[in-house]
Amino acid sequence: MYLYAPFFAVIMLSWGGLIPKKLTRMIHVFSYRDKNYIYDVGSGSLHECDKATADFLKAKEEGQDVDITYITDEQMREILADVDGLKEQGLLFKEEVSSYPMKSSEVKALCIHICHDCNFRCRYCFADEGAYHSKRESMSFETAKAAVDFLIENSGKRKVLEMDFFGGEPLMNFDVLKKTVYYAKEAAAKAGKKFLFTTTTNALLLSDEVIQFFNEEMENVVLSLDGRKEVHDAIRKSINGKGTFDLIIDKIKKFISLRGDKSYYVRGTFTAKNLDFAKDVLFIADQGVDSISMEPVVTEIEDLQITDEHLPIIEKEYENLCDEYLKRHAEGKGFNFFHFNVDLEGGPCLSKRVSACGAGNEYFSVAPNGDLYPCHQFVGDSSFRMGSVTEGIVRTDIREQFKESCLFTRKKCGDCFAKFICSGGCNANNYHYNGDINDPYEVTCGMMKKRIECGMHILAEKKLLQNDKKI
Amino acid sequence: MIKTIAKPAEKKVTACGECRSTCQSACKTSCTVGNQSCERITREEKIERK
Repeated sequence: MYLYAPFFAVIMLSWGGLIPKKLTRMIHVFSYRDKNYIYDVGSGSLHECDKATADFLKAKEEGQDVDITYITDEQMREILADVDGLKEQGLLFKEEVSSYPMKSSEVKALCIHICHDCNFRCRYCFADEGAYHSKRESMSFETAKAAVDFLIENSGKRKVLEMDFFGGEPLMNFDVLKKTVYYAKEAAAKAGKKFLFTTTTNALLLSDEVIQFFNEEMENVVLSLDGRKEVHDAIRKSINGKGTFDLIIDKIKKFISLRGDKSYYVRGTFTAKNLDFAKDVLFIADQGVDSISMEPVVTEIEDLQITDEHLPIIEKEYENLCDEYLKRHAEGKGFNFFHFNVDLEGGPCLSKRVSACGAGNEYFSVAPNGDLYPCHQFVGDSSFRMGSVTEGIVRTDIREQFKESCLFTRKKCGDCFAKFICSGGCNANNYHYNGDINDPYEVTCGMMKKRIECGMHILAEKKLLQNDKKI
Repeated sequence: MIKTIAKPAEKKVTACGECRSTCQSACKTSCTVGNQSCERITREEKIERK
């Protein structure tokens, strides 16, 4: 047994067969505060380890100049025994999957652009302040019905279908939205299916009637709020150019107070102007919001755009948020931050991890005139018009392009530890920043990796807290 | 010392398509499949808890 062999022999064995050669493809060793973690990419397992183990494994990674001379013979034997044990269980250095299960071509979800108009004029709006570089218009009930029929007819054996109402501002066409929901429910029942509805709104028209309707019919509601009043008002303005914070905050609070245990997110956007966005997330939490998402802006506006020079500040800010998130959780005042959710135990299956969001294949956006696009971020770009809800998908070549696009067609992702968690990034972001849906945007990747590390640390700390409570 | 924090649950069924479309969860800009949970596992756990 090598465990009892002299140190030299142990090392030879470790290099000779125990640890695979392509270390960087197999594990990710990282430190967070005083904790050290090993994420095994192939198995999706997360382990905590001591500094000696972390340093030893880091030293074996390409380009990592880590001092391991302090590790004693006894420590080395323990490290190798642990590594060997986990490897045998398939939890460390597990061979990564490299083949791709074929995707279904059943349509699962539609993003309905029920209104291409908006009652806000937000500077960073990717949708041209609601108009999508075209005329301001609303979807008719006839078109919305055709969209429902298109989804049901193309959904194959899928029982659960999804429809999210998007804009512009969907509540500017609330009557059609409401009628569409009732029509979809009836049509789905006849077809033996079920709809899950989502609406994204800026909350300005969030009346008592709307709140009641949302609570009865919406599986999820996404409400836009950027955080502190001065941050929100600097960007999210009304048509007359005034800040909108005071117009919506009480409506959002009322909505949440009546939401019960149903799902919702208050979702903000941060820009280069508020790189201290953790303060905005915590401000939102302080308003009684317990389900929050805060996204980096997607824009080419120079003073708002996130660039690689901002990345170190943003990474630090995610850590600040992570620390406060855990502190509040321990104090019983925890909240859910979307991007810190990393479900390693009950997460998606491999098929989902490889095929990602399904845009352009099982998920489409429908413009107010019924035209189909791969997703909301392509709407208005005629080169991505795929057909319409009445004529069906005409541009099968675009569908094939999106269907074939997956983790394994994104060459840059090959050596990234996060690949089975992020699936190679957002098609639209990749296209808009790098001109290719298969070419991930590095700044987004940097933020993603930091959020995942924070999420893994949170997972470990929450488990520790749970165990402490049991004791 | 290495301590396992989390390992994936064994999945009886894969590619069932029951999971929510990623883009509809919260953000519509930087959604991540790993932020989601498997709908089947979540549902089965709920039933078990009941």
